[in-house]
Amino acid sequence: MIPKLFHKYKLLFILILMAAVLSIISPRFLTKENLSNVLWSISIVGIMVSGTIYSPITSGVDLSVGSLAALSGVLFAKFMITFGFGLIPSILLTIAIACTIGFIHGLIITRINVPPLIITMAAKTYLFGIAMLISKGEMIPIMEPSSFMAIGGGKILGFPIPIFIMVIFILLSHILLKKTAYGRKALAVGANPVTAELSGIDAMQIQTIAYILSAFTAAIAGLVLCSISQLAYALLGQGLELEVITAIVLGGTPLGGGGFGTVFGALIGTVMVGFIGNGLNLMNVPSSFHPIVTGLVIISALALNENLRMGSGTKLKKAKL
Amino acid sequence: MSTNTNDILVQGKHVTKSYHGNVVLEDIEFDIRRGEVHSLVGENGAGKSTLVKIITGVTPRNNGEVDFDGHELPIDFPRTFVEKLGIAVIFQELSLIPGLTVAQNIFLGREPKLGKTRLIDKKKMVTDAEAIIKKYNFPLDPKAEIDSLSIGKRQLVEILKALSMDSKLMIMDEPTASLNLKESKLLFDIIKNLREEGVSILYISHRMEEVFELSDRVTVLRDGQKVALLDREEISPERIISLMIGRDLSVSDYEESVLKTVSGDTILEVKKLCSEKKFSDISFSLNKGEILGISGLVGSGRTEIVRAIYGVDPITSGSVLFDGKEITPTVKQSISLGFGFVPEDRRQQGVFMQLPINKNICSTNFDRYTRMGFVNEKGEDAIAESGINMVSIKPKDPNYIVGNLSGGNQQKVVLAKWLVRDLSILIIDEPTAGIDVGAKDEIYSVINNLARKGVGVLLISSDLPELTRLSDRIIVLREGKMIKEFKDQSITEEEVLRASSGLI
Ligand SMILES: Nc1ncnc2c1ncn2[C@@H]1O[C@H](COP(=O)(O)OP(=O)(O)OP(=O)(O)O)[C@@H](O)[C@H]1O
Ligand SMILES: [Mg+2]
Repeated sequence: MIPKLFHKYKLLFILILMAAVLSIISPRFLTKENLSNVLWSISIVGIMVSGTIYSPITSGVDLSVGSLAALSGVLFAKFMITFGFGLIPSILLTIAIACTIGFIHGLIITRINVPPLIITMAAKTYLFGIAMLISKGEMIPIMEPSSFMAIGGGKILGFPIPIFIMVIFILLSHILLKKTAYGRKALAVGANPVTAELSGIDAMQIQTIAYILSAFTAAIAGLVLCSISQLAYALLGQGLELEVITAIVLGGTPLGGGGFGTVFGALIGTVMVGFIGNGLNLMNVPSSFHPIVTGLVIISALALNENLRMGSGTKLKKAKL
Repeated sequence: MSTNTNDILVQGKHVTKSYHGNVVLEDIEFDIRRGEVHSLVGENGAGKSTLVKIITGVTPRNNGEVDFDGHELPIDFPRTFVEKLGIAVIFQELSLIPGLTVAQNIFLGREPKLGKTRLIDKKKMVTDAEAIIKKYNFPLDPKAEIDSLSIGKRQLVEILKALSMDSKLMIMDEPTASLNLKESKLLFDIIKNLREEGVSILYISHRMEEVFELSDRVTVLRDGQKVALLDREEISPERIISLMIGRDLSVSDYEESVLKTVSGDTILEVKKLCSEKKFSDISFSLNKGEILGISGLVGSGRTEIVRAIYGVDPITSGSVLFDGKEITPTVKQSISLGFGFVPEDRRQQGVFMQLPINKNICSTNFDRYTRMGFVNEKGEDAIAESGINMVSIKPKDPNYIVGNLSGGNQQKVVLAKWLVRDLSILIIDEPTAGIDVGAKDEIYSVINNLARKGVGVLLISSDLPELTRLSDRIIVLREGKMIKEFKDQSITEEEVLRASSGLI
């Protein structure tokens, strides 16, 4: 019974274990203020995770989301400040452009058969280039309108608003994966694209939509990031994609599909990454050590998780060599 | 019979295995003598493949002991150790590597080396492969990639691979599941020769004639228990079947299908269909309620034709008419017209191994249990449940992962996902590959019932008794061309086989 329960909620157990260790190490860890800080610090990654998770589920990957978030911020600033389009039109236009970019990536991956790793890695570079070009490499300060600034600066019930945005997106994504035909089909395509096609599921369409979803949440994250940092800047999204992928994989969604995927898992993965950084800060570990420790913790968490998930399957693999 | 311990190559004592608390093998005793063909029979899910996996160290046993050639085997061990022991295995799930060639697969891990280096001698590998292919007279090209081969040919590669290892024990888990009678005969001769040479063979099959023809002894499993060990003179197909299912096969199981009323309306017509290099000038029509058998050796183009009709592969010329109207086949359209398609390769094309039974069955039915894109879980469960009952999938648990089902039960899942739909045409390519005798009869009556309701059935099968028993009409193909059509219902297996092999 206990092992079965543990098996099902192992990620949550690992997270609680981490929290327990951290609260023993530092009494400041378990305060509302600190926890709210952690959640706030991961909200951007959390928003992006909710959409980006569909590319690994359909056995792809999207490494362009960091650059696309930055580009979205820059585009938005241009539309609103330089062209004076107004808040809502600027937001909508930004999202539309981002989704179109995702759609094109999806088409290139599915119709021309370019491996997703290659095309989205290239996209990471060229999208960053476009953002640099448009912003001339400068930071564009954003101070107005107040309704937009409130997103990044405001609080509800004492918690920063970006946390709520993250929670809403995670919930929506969870519903999409578990309760809709798209979610079912995405898992099926990840499990076996040939069987999916022969069953009447349009695998190419499902995969293409995955890249639109990741682009969509990248745009949202880019906008929230603008509001939080009160500026648009091409360098703002650098490296976000790796944090996003790390969180997704830590959460138990393997790269390369296979019929698995869990949005709540990915959220827990995101929080874990947040805990690691926060713990290191609380322990006053010099920042030059952070990447090393983060890497080690991620590897051990993955090893633990992988072992549990594969169960006796690892034996089979070994024998098949 | 006197047996000196030296006669015994493999001995299992108290072998027990369970998965997550479900006992799959319980306290099994067995032995395999040197130079005998020992058959292992039992219904789908009886535990046959599991026993193979235990002998070969793929899955660890929970309890008991397995001795090989006088030494106790460890609980689990790698493939290389199995080969060193002198055990060659043909697993039920073919284990070839798709991207590699026939020769590369045959010598995988045992590649001939260039002189004293560790580099692979590619030329020698191909000539060596050619030599064995010739020796056993298999229709294979050593340089062909596995991907490009039909299931039947892959099966032949797997057999060759096992033959190319000098082994004391050959284990064959349903080696003929996708072989034609002619190829099966080839294999039987090989098996008999091996026996002469003193090699032991553990043979698993659902085809009773084979078991009867080959076996020196037969072990019967039922629900994970050993229920009998029969000597040569005690073996008869009826005896084995009744031991397997735990009762006598009632008359009704063998009853011929009730006469059907073929309505006469044509539902599908194919005119001068061609596809580059695969088949040419294929014309036939299918009536409502008719079961049209398509026969031919592996490689005759039968699979390619039905794939083209279903819309998977392109057609270069010719036309397809559904209900009198010309269509350009695409999978999506075919499904909406009420086609069902059971492919020959269940692992790669039929099921989602990592997904549970319910998600597999429902993968063809999104139109029936989703509304505005949202899933109605009750509707989904109902569809899954009806599919599970229709072909008696075991276990009945809709959340059971398909990859953990026995081979025959996986095949039932592929059938179920189409049977739950309202069909107009059902295309079935080797529908009962790996399915046990009792369940086969159930599936035959399901197919006959569909036909009685007016569904047109295109049936491909290497199993000639199955083909002649079910079909109202049979067309025979050779090298991509139609060479004969049998119209009357008293078609014999002899005739079909002679036509397929080019004797008429
Ligand atoms: N990895 C696994 N996890 C859980 N259950 C399993 C696993 N592998 C096999 N089983 C179960 O063990 C039982 C025996 O399976 P096995 O594959 O040995 O049957 P079999 O006799 O070979 O049947 P078939 O004739 O259909 O091939 C089945 O009920 C199957 O569902
Ligand atoms: Mg089996």
